[in-house]
Amino acid sequence: MENERLNQLMERAGVRQYDCYQCGKCSGGCPMAHVMDLKPRGVMRCAQIGSLRRILESNTIWLCTGCHTCAERCPHDVDIPAVIEEMRYEAAAEGLTRRDSKVLNEVFLANIRMFGKNHEMLLAGLYNMLTLKPLQDMASLPHMYKNKLLKLLPKEPKNLTEIEALVKRAEKWRGLK
Amino acid sequence: MRKYSYFPGCSMESTAKPYRLATEYVMGKLGIGLVEIEDWNCCGATSGHTLSEALGLALPARSLALAEKRNPELDILTGCASCYARLRLAMYKARTDERAKYIIEKTIDMPYAAAREVYNFLDVFSLPDVREGIAERVVRKLTGLKAACYYGCLNVRPAEVTGAPDRENPTSMDEIVALTGAEPVDWAFKAECCGAAHQNDAASASRALPHRILRDAQSNGAEAIVTACPMCNLNLEMRQDGYVNRTGMDRIPVFSLSELLAVAMGASAKRIALEAHYVPSAAVLARALRRKDA
Repeated sequence: MENERLNQLMERAGVRQYDCYQCGKCSGGCPMAHVMDLKPRGVMRCAQIGSLRRILESNTIWLCTGCHTCAERCPHDVDIPAVIEEMRYEAAAEGLTRRDSKVLNEVFLANIRMFGKNHEMLLAGLYNMLTLKPLQDMASLPHMYKNKLLKLLPKEPKNLTEIEALVKRAEKWRGLK
Repeated sequence: MRKYSYFPGCSMESTAKPYRLATEYVMGKLGIGLVEIEDWNCCGATSGHTLSEALGLALPARSLALAEKRNPELDILTGCASCYARLRLAMYKARTDERAKYIIEKTIDMPYAAAREVYNFLDVFSLPDVREGIAERVVRKLTGLKAACYYGCLNVRPAEVTGAPDRENPTSMDEIVALTGAEPVDWAFKAECCGAAHQNDAASASRALPHRILRDAQSNGAEAIVTACPMCNLNLEMRQDGYVNRTGMDRIPVFSLSELLAVAMGASAKRIALEAHYVPSAAVLARALRRKDA
């Protein structure tokens, strides 16, 4: 059952786990490896031995920056970012989203629904409030204010109803594929 | 005259003010027309594709479809690496993956042919005639300014999407910067990751990333870093206090490529709001402008 699910996810990612021969170039080049509890090579190893749980519960899928250094350097063209992306969707569907990532994504989506654009100040402000980190980056606020780097409200797309409908339709595809 | 459908991106409307002013100045000088895509929306970086594949593709595709509908003869241009990556991925997927194209068109409720290309500023400034134009319009040289050209991730990777010829040691920006009289330094962190949106949602885990980049630039003699993305610029520049405390190094100015070109083309500091930088930036440029050729 678990193995079947794993194979489905790998197929969606378009990656054959046995293409990886565990050389470790991915982990060697990964800029976030120092904080990951499962390094990129480990993700591929878990996929090979059927440890889907270990991947879904890792912090790796939430800390990957999507920089694509691993895929760029892989001697066997394994698209690890595609695997991580699929695992992230799966983990989210199981309610395993890392808390801070969840807050940022929710604030971001609310932002898009309100303005069609990313209102940077609102995004950071709401994120800080909801994660109880009121001071994160706020030392820069006076500088931003003085130099008019903040907009009170962004220029809205004219057609916010269209964006709202787009977001709704996008939700429909979740879990499909 | 060259003309593009222009996707400014959200940062250009707020925190990237100096980048926007300099870009407008340089494009004006070069006679490159920017037709802002009417009713464009956020490209979705980074939460869009973290939340779902469909959202990650449809958000950028909507702006692309609008651009192609309004100006079918124009390619699309953006100055942000994240926007570029999302827009270009939507274009690439619509061209190469029928399933993705189906999801895109159903989700944006519009046809999207992906007939036009998506470019970033490095692509356009590297065109032979534009490069000639830049060389002609440099009215004052930034002689000997040691500049570390920082490309970041998404202007170059993934290769199949960007088509960048060299992802480990890209050189297009170095070549453009050299036209101003500045001296690009050889360094190792040209295309290392700045942490992007993780500077928000995983701040303590990712703070080392920009610091490593700054340290490698300075260790290789750079007096300034040049970027091609508003988010890279912010991540490298805004949080240098921690860097200074941690490494004992000095702060280092971080400019966008547009700003460097604008200064060399004669823009005053005021015109492009150089004072809005977090790290004082006018002095290093003034020093280079005063310097005589060796």
